[in-house]
Amino acid sequence: MKVLLADDDAERAGAVARILAADEGLTVMRLKLGESLADAVAALTPDVVLVDMARPDRDALDGIRKVAALNTRPVVLFVDEDDPAFMEEAIGAGVSSYNAIGMPPPDVKPILRAAVALFRRHQQAQDDLRQAELRLKERSVIDRAKTILIRQRKLSEPDAYKWLRKNAMSSARRIVDVAQDLIRDMEGNAG
Amino acid sequence: MTKPIRVGLLRLVDSAPVLLAEADGLFARLGIDVQISIEPSWSNIADKLTYGLLDAAVMLPPLALAACAGLRGPKARLVVPLSLSQGGNAIVGSLQAAASLMADHSPPAIRLLEWLQREHAKPRFAVVHAFSTHNLLLRYWLASGGADPDRDIETVVIPPENVVAALAAGTITGFCAGAPWGDVAERSNAGQIIIGTSVIWPFHPEKCLCFSEAWTEANPDLMQRLLRAVLQAQIRCDQPEEAGRIAALLADPNGLNLPRDASRAALPGGDGAECIRFHTREAWFPARAHAVWFLSQMRRWGWLDEAADIGGLAARVYRPDLLAPAVEQEGLYLAAGLPALEGAAMLPMPDADAFSPRDR
Repeated sequence: MKVLLADDDAERAGAVARILAADEGLTVMRLKLGESLADAVAALTPDVVLVDMARPDRDALDGIRKVAALNTRPVVLFVDEDDPAFMEEAIGAGVSSYNAIGMPPPDVKPILRAAVALFRRHQQAQDDLRQAELRLKERSVIDRAKTILIRQRKLSEPDAYKWLRKNAMSSARRIVDVAQDLIRDMEGNAG
Repeated sequence: MTKPIRVGLLRLVDSAPVLLAEADGLFARLGIDVQISIEPSWSNIADKLTYGLLDAAVMLPPLALAACAGLRGPKARLVVPLSLSQGGNAIVGSLQAAASLMADHSPPAIRLLEWLQREHAKPRFAVVHAFSTHNLLLRYWLASGGADPDRDIETVVIPPENVVAALAAGTITGFCAGAPWGDVAERSNAGQIIIGTSVIWPFHPEKCLCFSEAWTEANPDLMQRLLRAVLQAQIRCDQPEEAGRIAALLADPNGLNLPRDASRAALPGGDGAECIRFHTREAWFPARAHAVWFLSQMRRWGWLDEAADIGGLAARVYRPDLLAPAVEQEGLYLAAGLPALEGAAMLPMPDADAFSPRDR
């Protein structure tokens, strides 16, 4: 069975390809950077296409037979009608799959399952990274606010933090939002 | 705290009503929390609506119908209670193609066959999606000039924001896409607008607001509030004096990031080839007659079975009844009067049988 993998994220695509290549029954092909999805499907005639849902050219696969009237085999979205939760999970993870043959091959679901798992892990890693960046940014905002309080109100560092925390609690807001307002006020006054 | 309503849209000028409703606080005023999701493709919108990852979305009517007819997988359960816009698309040709087709002041379709015969290679036209208003109107126009869109041209699908570059690079001969891309092509001298799609079908419906049927059944009250807020925004979007502000909103680099001048040209009162209409002439009304026209065209091209129940499908997907409470509450129309809009009030539509590819 020939699987075409269309994912511009080289690291993730590499991981998916490695997992799939462990199955001797599979030939894994990758979309070349800049190559159009429709062209690759026409040239490589894969049985299954795995696509990163963030690709804007995914629309080219929808109704491909209807648009082109080429001799391409019909490409249809792979859907497991008996398992809508799995479909939701796949879409949530950002991967979609097409069959280029009338019926989905019987052993296609494990392939998609493996891809979904990898996409999810990748998504999780990205989310963690974003969270970490956000926390760092928030900490620097709080530090700047503390510096202002230490300088202007002659507070000690623990007292500056307590001041922020007290204001956050009394106004039911997050400490970082209180800190942000304080900085904005100071910069507003300065400007 | 309830979950926000997840509404998907693409980077297009006709997404304006949803964006404006958010920016102007119309959603908040009606007590709903809307989370707008800018999606990369129509397929994403269709898939996410089908599998409940979006509750509603700005949508191509033919794609909503195709999804419900089972043309892109199993039959989806989607409903269209609101039409969002009319017009705004353009058929654009390379400078060379445009020069051949527009040699005098006669309608360009008249020169179509002559031009096709002279071309050595099959002209290649891009549309934004197979199941798009653009593709159906382009095919209708080609057929009206005696051409067979399946035989005489090649159709490719290219995301709207890439069509101008493809035309400039010569990989396509022309395209049919929504605003602002026709005007962008002219401004950058990559091509020339041959006709606006409103010439083919005056006041043709363009985008709709499509919902997951399961979500509307579970959240009828939230749906009414969402519809009311968007109806209010559609009125604002139709006012030329608001167009500058809306073009600026569409140009927000953290949002849709659309070219400001070209968007302004496509909004009411603009100087683009086609101006989008959001509210006047009952642009908001989801007429079943429109759904029937789209489905008849799909059948004409062999995408739907001859035996397909077009009327039944149109009635299941196009749901003006769901809009009735919202239009009445907004004081736009008496609910009892809505069905009358289906008939005499609608403008004539292109006749599906009037033109067929000539036998050559």
